[in-house]
Amino acid sequence: MAAQANTAGAKKGFLQWARSRRGQQIIIIVAFMIVPLALLFTFTYLPFGEMVGYSFYKMKYVGKRSFVGWKNYASVFSRKDCFGALKLSLYYMGGSIVQLALALYLATILSFKVKGGNIFKGFMFFPYLINGIAIGFIFKFFYTRGFVFDTVLQWCGFQLDNLPYWLRDQRINNISLVGTSVWRYFGQNMVLFIGAIMSVDSELYEAAMLDGANRFEQFRYIILPSIKTIVTLNVILSITGSLSAFEPPYVITSGANGTGTYFVVMNEIAHTQQKVGLASAMAVVLLLIIFAATILQKLFFKYVFRNAEDEDFGASKRRDKQLAKYAARKAGR
Amino acid sequence: MKLRKVLALTLAAAMTLSLTACGGSDEGAAEAPAADDTAAEETETPAADDGAEAEAPATAPAGLTYASINLGEDYKDLTTTIKFIHHKTDREEDGTMADLIAKFNEVYPNITVETEGVTDYQEDSLLRLSAGDWGDVMFIPAVDAAELPTYFVPYGTVDEMSQFVNFADQWKDAAGNCYGIGYMGNAQGILYNKKVFADAGVTELPKTPDEFIAALQAVKDNTDAIPLYTNYAAGWTMGGQWDAYLGAITTGDETWLNQKFVHTAEPFKDNGDGTGAYALYKILYDATEKGLIEDDYTTTDWEGCKPMINNGEIGTMVLGSWAIAQMKAAGDNPDDIGYMPFPITVNGQQYATAGPDYCYGINVNASDDNKAAAMVFVKWMVEESGWCDLEGGYPISKTAPTSFVFEGVNIVNNVTALPGEEDYMNEMNAESELSFNAGGDAKVQRIVEAAATGAETYDDIMSDWTQAWNAAQETCGVEVLY
Repeated sequence: MAAQANTAGAKKGFLQWARSRRGQQIIIIVAFMIVPLALLFTFTYLPFGEMVGYSFYKMKYVGKRSFVGWKNYASVFSRKDCFGALKLSLYYMGGSIVQLALALYLATILSFKVKGGNIFKGFMFFPYLINGIAIGFIFKFFYTRGFVFDTVLQWCGFQLDNLPYWLRDQRINNISLVGTSVWRYFGQNMVLFIGAIMSVDSELYEAAMLDGANRFEQFRYIILPSIKTIVTLNVILSITGSLSAFEPPYVITSGANGTGTYFVVMNEIAHTQQKVGLASAMAVVLLLIIFAATILQKLFFKYVFRNAEDEDFGASKRRDKQLAKYAARKAGR
Repeated sequence: MKLRKVLALTLAAAMTLSLTACGGSDEGAAEAPAADDTAAEETETPAADDGAEAEAPATAPAGLTYASINLGEDYKDLTTTIKFIHHKTDREEDGTMADLIAKFNEVYPNITVETEGVTDYQEDSLLRLSAGDWGDVMFIPAVDAAELPTYFVPYGTVDEMSQFVNFADQWKDAAGNCYGIGYMGNAQGILYNKKVFADAGVTELPKTPDEFIAALQAVKDNTDAIPLYTNYAAGWTMGGQWDAYLGAITTGDETWLNQKFVHTAEPFKDNGDGTGAYALYKILYDATEKGLIEDDYTTTDWEGCKPMINNGEIGTMVLGSWAIAQMKAAGDNPDDIGYMPFPITVNGQQYATAGPDYCYGINVNASDDNKAAAMVFVKWMVEESGWCDLEGGYPISKTAPTSFVFEGVNIVNNVTALPGEEDYMNEMNAESELSFNAGGDAKVQRIVEAAATGAETYDDIMSDWTQAWNAAQETCGVEVLY
């Protein structure tokens, strides 16, 4: 009886709590969060956890699996093709720097009054809207001997015999592929930059002009500091993106002829060779590399730009100081 | 694949159930009685027949066999409608099928044939087969050999049928009855342009790797055509095609590919006489090294190559005989397309592997009239229609005229793996990462790259493969016997 009364009491207490403002708050928060969290867990973290588990097994998609411990990780580091493929990422990183510089340059120009600016914006953003596979096919023909690219260069006076084979020559085929990804993504970077530049107060330019600053100085001292955050973000996204480059080599050259990036090799190992354990280990290693690269970049930008992460870092410090002073004066009274 | 397995299992389960339901007085044999039961329900024909057909007597009307039909004489007065379902939707659309039926009706005006081309035939046909009411003639989908009598009418014994058609043993039951006749055959050889060869002064088809390279050289020297178009960029045209010649074609040994290969210590060693796997891939390496392939192999285009070989811009391509029809259809010179045996000669003999494409099967549940009409139709299609030749297929009928010439070649079939060793090849393929006949395109592309850039010698690659193979043998615990 006592126990029953107790539970009844607890029930009443719970109901009361649920009706209270605090209880309502918590119930609503939980109710709203549970759906996205459940989805996130089921479709992101659970499969990821499974994959980490797979990386310790020698297994195919079907059939029996056997536990091999760290052997898969050892072979990721000992195999030539796995880590060798990461070297190709350097091409894509180089490409991403070119891409960002180009995007920043064009964004700066287009954010001032330019004739037909919106048309240019549209044209340059357009490639980003095309499907990556389609872009692959476009460029396959673009680079084919004697096709589009060679024809255009011949108009400019180049002799076909002096032109390299864009995809066959192993010295430049990766650069050709990187070119496609620069073409695809610089428009998107540019639009992001323009958005950030728009938010700069135009009175600043006026003031700068009165002080005799030219366009470059305006860019250097007004625009760049104002959009540091978005620049940092874009650099981080591009670098991590270049570590996991996949579509251009997969579609255009199917990873053959020395263009197999880490992802393409991983795909080959997982699907053709059916070494699921090894491919999972490769994925985990790549994730760790991306983590490391991101952290390094953050540290780097912190060092270079001081407070690129939080532009109002100094301001909030000053405010804190002032508040403390105010509080002290109040207390003193 | 999975779906097929599940279906097969479901079918097997359903059949076991129907067995028990049907009374199960005789529990002696497994599948064959099931056929008897179902057939007995459907047809009232008394089963008595003699000799060879003792195993499945009730399934066919008495005396109805492929051999017993005289085309154009028997069953002329038979009036009925039969339905034929097939996978050649392209032929249904371009009117070829209707033409064939019209020609059939000139001989048999009273037999109406309805045809239906089914997209996604592989999956769909199995579903229809299990549903039962699919028509009278179909191309046999992937069913277990043991289930054949449940679904299809036998044409006669394999021995008897072998006098009339090739590959009669493709669909046979335990008793040796033949249930399927191919509509065309596929052979493995090399596709070439006859005109290009003639222009180059190559009068005799090459029989050895050296002769083949010499022929390619002649094509390069004397014509503007690309001697050997690799289709490097497509990928599947590298591994998928070149690997297909491993086995009997390169060694003359039907057991090599599926039984000996995994147990061989040095499968890629140089035999010195232009045979074996070494000689096979060496052709590609040599051709590339000597500049006998397309200029820019990284941008080859599969769809684009078809009109090119048709118009004489390409000398040869390494593709199965299934590609002939596509190449012929791609331009104005279908007669220039030729097909030759693979240029490897083992002890003075050339070999080619061949097998049937989809095979005609006749519904065991159809009425007697329809069975007879269906059998007549199938025999006419195989012997008189000329469809097989139209598709450029390896001949099925032994008597019908054919343009497929494979002179002085032994047609062989790679035999299947030994019982208990079926998985060895898959395991070895995965472990060694060479993936023979299993999507190992990268390894063949590597040969082209190495030869074009001079990065590796052919022997380097082969010893690399041997090492990978031996390591895989050790890991998989496959005994080295040869």
